[in-house]
Amino acid sequence: MHDVIFVNRDFLAAGLLATLQISAISIVCGTLIGAVVALLRYLRVPFAARFCALYVGLIQGAPLLVVLLFCYFALPALFGYKTTAYWATVLSFSVFIGAYLAEDIRAGLQSVSPKLTQAALACGLTMPQVLRLVVLPIGVRSVIPPIISQYVRLIKFTSVASIISVQELTGNALLVNARVFEPATILSFVAIVYLIVCQAVSLFGRWLNARFAVRT
Amino acid sequence: MIDIQNVSKSYGAVPVLQDCSLSVKRGEVVVVCGPSGSGKSTLIKCVNGLEPYQSGSIKVAGVEVGARHTNLPKLRAKIGMVFQSFELYPHLCALENVMLAQIHVLRRSRDEARTRAMALLTRVGLAERAHQMPADLSGGQQQRVAIARTLALDPDAILLDEPTSALDPEMVSEVLDVITALARDGMTMMVVTHEMGFARRVADRVIFMDQGRVVEDAAAETFFAAPASARAREFLSKILAH
Repeated sequence: MHDVIFVNRDFLAAGLLATLQISAISIVCGTLIGAVVALLRYLRVPFAARFCALYVGLIQGAPLLVVLLFCYFALPALFGYKTTAYWATVLSFSVFIGAYLAEDIRAGLQSVSPKLTQAALACGLTMPQVLRLVVLPIGVRSVIPPIISQYVRLIKFTSVASIISVQELTGNALLVNARVFEPATILSFVAIVYLIVCQAVSLFGRWLNARFAVRT
Repeated sequence: MIDIQNVSKSYGAVPVLQDCSLSVKRGEVVVVCGPSGSGKSTLIKCVNGLEPYQSGSIKVAGVEVGARHTNLPKLRAKIGMVFQSFELYPHLCALENVMLAQIHVLRRSRDEARTRAMALLTRVGLAERAHQMPADLSGGQQQRVAIARTLALDPDAILLDEPTSALDPEMVSEVLDVITALARDGMTMMVVTHEMGFARRVADRVIFMDQGRVVEDAAAETFFAAPASARAREFLSKILAH
């Protein structure tokens, strides 16, 4: 019964690799977007902060699948460029997760007491230095657990990309199943692989938090 | 060194400082006291530009704090500040707390900053705690690290905003001892405090504030022996009675 997994191991491994790749790129890009948006809103930069609030509100009110389809079909049509399912997926997931990460990071920044900021300023640090050396490191460390759980959510979300025929783990598993029709085996296998990956990321997050969380 | 002339500040319609004037000469220790809400902390925070003021003038070593073109970070590096609630960087150990501004403000090398930080932690009696995080230090120890952090910039003057108010009683003296030693070494200081015994021992002058005004500005002996205003007499009798 497990032959189907063994026989298709290369194809499924390629799918897993794509899942990991999409997740990793989206996590990096999403975190950058989240950090920039969080900073702009934290600093209440005129105009930019409002634009960022609009972005976060829009994304939080949209289903992931709609964002994905929008990036795959609507954006290229609107702006006249060509894309692939793979890059539309990376774009949509980065933008999607970025909005949620922005809110988590902003919460972290706001948890840094204004008095501590004052103390850092009183030492002669400039505002950009205070942000870089004090507010960001302390703020981000205080929200490691929610950030990691966003990453875990994102890894699971990547299965949605199979809808636009991205060859990631779920997509490839469905292709195998279409040939051999052994859904119980194949989907159990897929579920276990996601579970292992997510657990690994969670464990890493727990280690990060234990190592870096700021005690006060 | 510090020259405050006719400074006023209000939050909306509520005045917090009204026409305050005082000066601190080089090497002088000036204690600012008064009931809570009298504007002491606000005034001291105006001196290094942490609080803006609406009128009057504050000059530190001849530089106008409130002027638009004043380089506040540069000015702040020259006048240290110690806060009531310590405000150490919680993500850095004691040593790194004392090193940070040396590296990023004074552009000292890491080695130089570390050597200097170690020397200062030794001076405040915390050499063996250098690698501990603030959360693992007592309040008195944290405040001594905060003092070392301020001294690391070789300031011309230090502002202390109720440096012992957040401490357990048994830790007050270890912090006051460090501050007293600084005063003996000739450091220019402006100290907001309720510790009248300490004020009596180290202050050259005492400023008494009430309702945003400087009510009394007198030599320490004069202030404690015979305060001129009724308000100061009342304050002293209350604070010294218990």
